Amino acid sequence: MAILNADELDIISHSAEQTMRLGSRLGALLQAGDVVCLSGDMGAGKTVFTAGIGQGWGARNPVTSPTYNLIHQHERARDDLKLYHLDCYRLRDANDAETIGLDDILEGEGVIVFEWPERIASALPDARLWVELRVTDVTRRNLIFSGQGARYKDLIVALREKAYGV
Amino acid sequence: MYILGIETSCDETASAVVLDGRVMASNVVASQIDLHAQYGGVFPELASRAHVEQIAPVVQQAISDAAITPDQIDAIAVTQGPGLVGSLLVGVNYAKGLSLASGKPLIGVNHLEGHIYSLWLTQPFKEPEFPVVVLIVSGGHTELLLMTGYNDYTRLGGTLDDAAGEAFDKVGRLLELPFPGGPNIENAAQMGNPSAFNFPRALRGNHYDFSFSGLKTAVMREVTVQPSAAARRQRGAEKKAQLRADVSINDVAASFQEALAEALVEKTVRAARKHNATEIFMAGGVSANGRLRALMKRESSLPVRYPPLNLCTDNAAMIAAAAYYRHADAIREGTLESDFALDVRALWPLGGDGRR
Repeated sequence: MAILNADELDIISHSAEQTMRLGSRLGALLQAGDVVCLSGDMGAGKTVFTAGIGQGWGARNPVTSPTYNLIHQHERARDDLKLYHLDCYRLRDANDAETIGLDDILEGEGVIVFEWPERIASALPDARLWVELRVTDVTRRNLIFSGQGARYKDLIVALREKAYGV
Repeated sequence: MYILGIETSCDETASAVVLDGRVMASNVVASQIDLHAQYGGVFPELASRAHVEQIAPVVQQAISDAAITPDQIDAIAVTQGPGLVGSLLVGVNYAKGLSLASGKPLIGVNHLEGHIYSLWLTQPFKEPEFPVVVLIVSGGHTELLLMTGYNDYTRLGGTLDDAAGEAFDKVGRLLELPFPGGPNIENAAQMGNPSAFNFPRALRGNHYDFSFSGLKTAVMREVTVQPSAAARRQRGAEKKAQLRADVSINDVAASFQEALAEALVEKTVRAARKHNATEIFMAGGVSANGRLRALMKRESSLPVRYPPLNLCTDNAAMIAAAAYYRHADAIREGTLESDFALDVRALWPLGGDGRR
């Protein structure tokens, strides 16, 4: 595999199942305080990928779309850690993020996954894992992982090892 | 016994007075559809603000429409969840204030349970013989329940990803139809061919769970053109899919609606048979869909109940009715204590099996 950019990971997923498996691999690596931003059109697989994250992380209940409630909070048996799954589609800007209590969540110890993070760009922490999901074909998706901050660069290295064994 | 209901879980500010859990003395709904339509969806901050502005006049009107004095109210019922936290808080805080000021007991109600009791407000009412299978379908919920008695539910299944109403809204957006998606897709579908596209019915199997995310993606695949490979390679370039010009919106709408309705009907009918239900109950905004109603009646030999259109969508009469069937005895005996610490519950499964 040619690595064009050492800080980036570029993966083609051929099906929703594969996208979910990729999410699951990432979910297993996530630690308290990690922030994951999922950017992509409707149908690109953001919720599917998050369902995988929930699986790998060990969420007790299946991850469903948070579009209606804006935030879903998940728990796992292993410890008291929380997984927050946010859909920012219906937020207009960073001020709206404040009204749903984003500050409290960011200050907490949870893992946070954002869908439609662009909507609240200025409210997002600088250090984060950014995953762009692009629709390239009927079932094919291109997932591009990039990290800002040392933790996320390490995370990408770990994910690459898990995904490719290199 | 008069119960005042208050409902603000999403985008309708509603209040109603219900007599003995069955008779609507008044039913006032201030809809925010026009407000949110310009943005193409419900926006939480806008919704909370609109609730704050509307709650007092709406409650006032519910009391005056009922032609009763505030003294005659026996209890105050309010939606405690599930829903948008900011929206729920407006109703819950207002109800707490009313309860404190008047000394009338305060009751927190589950919004999903409220939807079920909209059928107790539907005339003519016939006492059901339990068990019945209940399908609650709305913008935020898709729940299949077994109701074995008053306030006695077992959750059989629900959506694993998008709610049915959410799928309507998202496909509506794809088809560039106005918000809300449900009625606009139904209108377009009336002029379309439901077998023009063979969209997936999804999730065959013995369970009663639904999945509508794959259906949404299948629709997207049919109606949009993806940007060129060159455009895709370019960072920051327009990556959004565009609506194809040569596709019949009406055919897509009809085929999508057919796939979604069939999935709902197949599992509901199978659950009813398996659990020896005497009837099928439908409630929630999506139960207003004509095609879903027709298909349910065609596929089941059991009687099918659904509320009139004004009780399918969110309203406060159903909240007052649900409160009556849970707490009438305690209210009558004067033993119902108000819980002023009552907090909103964004997620609150009904008949839960611990999931979600």
